[in-house]
Amino acid sequence: MSGITCDQVRMAVLDPGTRPGDWARHPDAAAHVRQCTSCQDWLDAFTAGAQAWVSEQGDAFAAAVIARTAGVEAVLRDLPGLAEMDPGPGFTERVLIATSSRPAPEGWRVRVTGAWRALVRRPRFAWEAAYVATVCWVLVFGNPVGAIEWSATNIGAVARQRLGPPVKELRADFETWRARLAPEPAPAQGAAAGAQAEPAPPVVRAWQAATDWLRGVASSVVEAFTLAWERLAGWFEGLAGQPPGPSTEPPADPARSHQ
Amino acid sequence: MEASNLATLVERCRAGDAIAWEAFVRHVQGRMFALAYSYAGDREDARDLAQEIFVRLYEARSQWPAGDEFLPWLFRVARNRSVDFLRRRSVRRPASTVDETAIAELPDPAPGAEAQAIDADRRSLLHAALRGLSAINREIVVLRDVHGLSIQQVASILGVPLGTVKSRASRARVELTERVLALSRGQGEA
Repeated sequence: MSGITCDQVRMAVLDPGTRPGDWARHPDAAAHVRQCTSCQDWLDAFTAGAQAWVSEQGDAFAAAVIARTAGVEAVLRDLPGLAEMDPGPGFTERVLIATSSRPAPEGWRVRVTGAWRALVRRPRFAWEAAYVATVCWVLVFGNPVGAIEWSATNIGAVARQRLGPPVKELRADFETWRARLAPEPAPAQGAAAGAQAEPAPPVVRAWQAATDWLRGVASSVVEAFTLAWERLAGWFEGLAGQPPGPSTEPPADPARSHQ
Repeated sequence: MEASNLATLVERCRAGDAIAWEAFVRHVQGRMFALAYSYAGDREDARDLAQEIFVRLYEARSQWPAGDEFLPWLFRVARNRSVDFLRRRSVRRPASTVDETAIAELPDPAPGAEAQAIDADRRSLLHAALRGLSAINREIVVLRDVHGLSIQQVASILGVPLGTVKSRASRARVELTERVLALSRGQGEA
């Protein structure tokens, strides 16, 4: 706060020897009023009184100023009493019933599902999905010209060429699986009972066949992902710049023999 | 209730505690109803509006801000709901006039020393004078002088510059006082 008191500010404002507003030119007074809420309120009331002076000449001026000054202070004193009101009986129960019928706040799974549904419902979603899928395909597998081969005229030939080997392989796997599941031939008569090994039950053989097949599929998938990842890494290396040149390190010595 | 207790309630409500929610409703319903009444100007509408505010708060309880930011956020939510409510009501039917007799008969929320000093006539005068102010001036007076928010918080809630709130707050106080004096003179002559 500045070095001037509230009383001094108010005396300066009320000084009949000065014109209205002259006090504000005094830097200390102006600084004080800027920081003192009490003086601000008092000035507001005084301004209201000054406005009353324009409309109410003569003796009414003093009464108007007093009324307004006291009025503002009284009103400001009374206003916090309006901060709370009783909403009446049953209001709390009404609110609790209204809120208990509401669903609980949604978790992230529900929000993600809702966002996905909203995304899918968008009119251009199919186009955008196709675009993104194309970009991903080009980034991962490269060879954008290959896609041109898939035209309506030669799609059959390309499909036979591309999909033929995997289909044959899948068919071979299927036949192997069927052969394993087929019932084993009955043991030859006359053979010693102890020499013939007990055949595995069909359930066990089916389980073994399934696990073998799954293992093969999984290894193929892993190989495909590894290949795709290497291609992607190569593509990024190409973007980043030339691959590093040959190493300047001297070639490693051949392994030494103990002899 | 103290601020620390309110903060505890807020934390428990955010965690989904149903008992804390009920305690929270009981704690702030007086303030929310008073705020709703300052917008709606009608007791029944104010009850509906206050309920809407609570439902909105309940739906967003996982996003409640913590600490000192909660109270301004609460008033911002209540104010936005109130503005929406008034917009809907203006389409539905014209705003009702203030029934000062009904206001004077409002039950006293806390029959204590302070409440005894503010009698029903005085409150009815203040409410009537408040309804005579322009919407922005009334909001400033209600948020600043009735609910005791800071100038910065009021400016943030209303989305207007700080200087506007300062200048309007001063003018609104004087205008409110003039209306109270005019209304009391009118009552005296009647």
